[in-house]
Amino acid sequence: MAVETLSVILLVALFAFLATGLWVGFALMAVAWIAMTVATSVPPGTVFATKVWGALNIWDLTALPMFLWMGEILFRSNLSRNMFAGLAPLTRRLPGGLLHVNILGCALFAAVSGSSAATTATIGRMSLPELEKRGYDTRMAIGTLAGSGTFGFLIPPSIILIVYGAATEQSIARLFIAGIVPGLMLAALFAGYTAIWAMMHRERMPQADSAHDEAGKLRAFMGLAPTIGLIIAVIGSIYAGLASPTEAAVIGVIGALILASASGEFGRTAFTESLLRATRTSCMIAFILAGAAFLTVAMGFTGVPRSLAGWIGEQGFSPYVLIAALVIFFIILGCFLDGISIVVLTVSVILPMVQAAGIDTIWFGIFLVLVVEMSQITPPVGFNLFVLQSVTGRNIFEIARYAAPFFALMVLATALLTAFPEIALWLPRTMMAR
Amino acid sequence: ETKWDMPTPYGDAVFHTQNIMQFAAAVKEATGGELSITVHSANSLFGHAEIKDAVRRGLAPIGEILISRMANEDPVFGVDSIPFLAASYEDAEKLWKASREDIAAKLDEQGLTLLFAVPWPGQSLYVNEEVTSTDQMQGVSFRAYNAATERLAQLMGAVPTQVEAGDIPTAFSTGRVSAMITSPSTGASSKAWDFVSHYIDTQAWLPKNMVIVNKQAFDALPEEQQKAVRDAAAEAESRGWEMSEAETAEKIQVLTDNGMQVSAPSETLKEQLGAIGQTMTDEWLAEAGDEGKAIVDAYRAM
Amino acid sequence: MRRFLNGLYAISLGLSALCLTLIAILVAAQIAGRVGDRILLAFGTDAVGLAVPSLAEIGGFLFVAASTLALAPTLKSASHVRVTVLAAALGAKGARVLDSAMLAGATVLAVFAAWHSTLQLIDSWKFGSVSYGVVPVPLWIPQAAMSAGFVVLAIAVVDELVTLLRGGVPDFRREEEGRDAVSGAVE
Ligand code: NA
Ligand code: NA
Repeated sequence: MAVETLSVILLVALFAFLATGLWVGFALMAVAWIAMTVATSVPPGTVFATKVWGALNIWDLTALPMFLWMGEILFRSNLSRNMFAGLAPLTRRLPGGLLHVNILGCALFAAVSGSSAATTATIGRMSLPELEKRGYDTRMAIGTLAGSGTFGFLIPPSIILIVYGAATEQSIARLFIAGIVPGLMLAALFAGYTAIWAMMHRERMPQADSAHDEAGKLRAFMGLAPTIGLIIAVIGSIYAGLASPTEAAVIGVIGALILASASGEFGRTAFTESLLRATRTSCMIAFILAGAAFLTVAMGFTGVPRSLAGWIGEQGFSPYVLIAALVIFFIILGCFLDGISIVVLTVSVILPMVQAAGIDTIWFGIFLVLVVEMSQITPPVGFNLFVLQSVTGRNIFEIARYAAPFFALMVLATALLTAFPEIALWLPRTMMAR
Repeated sequence: ETKWDMPTPYGDAVFHTQNIMQFAAAVKEATGGELSITVHSANSLFGHAEIKDAVRRGLAPIGEILISRMANEDPVFGVDSIPFLAASYEDAEKLWKASREDIAAKLDEQGLTLLFAVPWPGQSLYVNEEVTSTDQMQGVSFRAYNAATERLAQLMGAVPTQVEAGDIPTAFSTGRVSAMITSPSTGASSKAWDFVSHYIDTQAWLPKNMVIVNKQAFDALPEEQQKAVRDAAAEAESRGWEMSEAETAEKIQVLTDNGMQVSAPSETLKEQLGAIGQTMTDEWLAEAGDEGKAIVDAYRAM
Repeated sequence: MRRFLNGLYAISLGLSALCLTLIAILVAAQIAGRVGDRILLAFGTDAVGLAVPSLAEIGGFLFVAASTLALAPTLKSASHVRVTVLAAALGAKGARVLDSAMLAGATVLAVFAAWHSTLQLIDSWKFGSVSYGVVPVPLWIPQAAMSAGFVVLAIAVVDELVTLLRGGVPDFRREEEGRDAVSGAVE
């Protein structure tokens, strides 16, 4: 069957399955099953079992439930409330106020977690209820979170950069370092946009907290201490060589348990609830990962992404046009496949054309992460959207709408990165010069 | 016209993958396009851990894996990963001649046909000081990723530390590990000079990747296509061994060019490591029984 | 029957949570071993290399088990994500028809998943497949958890379909409606 016909059939099928309200994991499975049955001679059932087993049997994934659990513990104790109370006076004069906590929180958390879903879920669980309580605009609260959640991939450690580095024989250490400045730039763009938005929409911002006296300020500020201590413990355990980034998540759980118990508001019921809720959220994400893995292998067998990428290669584009074409290609593919799958499926075809065009491979890794991050917030298949639907109960299309400005900022960041490649390349060159 | 999908674990820049690409092209050419193989590199179709079962179950007719990944299934698959048993290309080739038939027979029992095998460059030490004796390895945290590397670490007096491949740079820079044993290829591609200073060229063992094909799928091919595959495989094997040897020199040069201290093992170290090799060979023989003994005897007689 | 099924889902969720707790405990032991080694080194003695053997592999297996065993209870509590835009537009009656069709499709998929993961488990068991790391773990053990998870998921989907066809409200719908009411109240 021609690639075009197959692509159309699969797209229609995906939208149809999702529209019936089929759970996302099942919908992805169904599309994969159709693709394999229609276009290959491989037995779909055996492939399903082999691939789902392989896709979930991954050590690095264990950090996901641990971080989710940490978030649930903090949410159920008074720690996240105290943290916001402590931050409120600090951000009082800043246009956008506590909305910046989403951006800063995600950037900090991303320095520990390699996954965007874990970043979005953990920060979202703590911040969204607090922001809502304080009268912040829900749309903006969700939008900043959806956007900032994607830092998980760009700021090291990063699962995507590890996958890309392994597939292309690049130094993972250099890729990690190359992601730092672009990650900070993106955070600055988000914060700048949030500040401007807040100044232009004063009516949708809450009244500033009444000014505290100095003692009140100090008390509120002291409320920040436990959370800051926890962040230092988690990051510190990695840099002291006591824990790998995957293991550090457990330091987070233990730290959160200690702090929550010390606060006195965290009993056995809260413990059980936190664990069960983390179990369910982790399962929700894992089910979609399983469906996505089956779809990825089906796509590998049908060769659709390969031939689409190959088509771009045949056009003989100049470097800038090639980059632009790839951005569009990845955005379209990113609507339907998850980011890591796209990298895995296409890098073998795309990297040679990128190298032929004289584009630096470290730079291209960062570029890839940026465009793949966009796929996290584009419907219908976007992990941050699923996570946020599960946290807020709002549907993915609504969340995607709130995230749209941040999507646009990511496109802008990609343009900046293309115009000024040094944004990615300067730091690794400087730090790694021997 | 037959189309085969071929999952492989390593990236396109790795010489194993490049050799396999040439193998696939040779098969296509020799069969006049009647049999074409699409290589899915870098775990893009199935992950390394799944490739063997995927080929066995007929999900992919052909694939590549590291032979010693199967060592827990049968000790025979671990024969090329015994430190210092065959620590050069010449010896590795002899060992392969001595063990090939047994390995092929074990694979045949699983419904797999062995096509060819190509070694990685020898496994050498990456450490943070000039190590001239295993005394200096006492208490050093040493990366272990399977039973054999764990035992090696213990015998050197080092502390075996589990570190996953993607975590190596972080583990070194934060001090969770400070020594490892791997090929110059992996050292160069991971830019080992970013986090470790000395390379000691022990070439302790030359682990091999093998290309296996589902027996049913292979037998279903017409006679002349089977022959074409066999011929291309034989060519790929001899080409692969040459590529591997060239790669060793080339990648050690890369390490030197980037400021790593490259040195040959001292006489003391050689002696100590030889003794460790003997211990590990004995332990392997105890596990592998008569079959194993026959392989080692045949190898030593060559 | 009802009690048996609810018990089954509860056990499944409990086992899943237990797997996650085990991950936390094993990792904590691993970190404690490293800290212990640091302390020994600081006192001038040799490090002993306390470590949990094959932690990475066992962690992966526990994650598979945790992820699959929780599938059914997660579905029942409406924690799996789905798009309900069309159902909301259709009104109560239309939504029931749509849900029936959707659950019928989900039944096919869940049975497919349960069947093939069980075949995989049998294959690994017959074949004696073991893991690759320091501890050779028979793969059928974690694969049995995966298979059990999908079987319970299939049971749960059929359970919901039967409830709906009998004129009742499936658990996941009740949870979703409860949630809508809450978020509606906040706005
Ligand atoms: Na990160
Ligand atoms: Na998307």
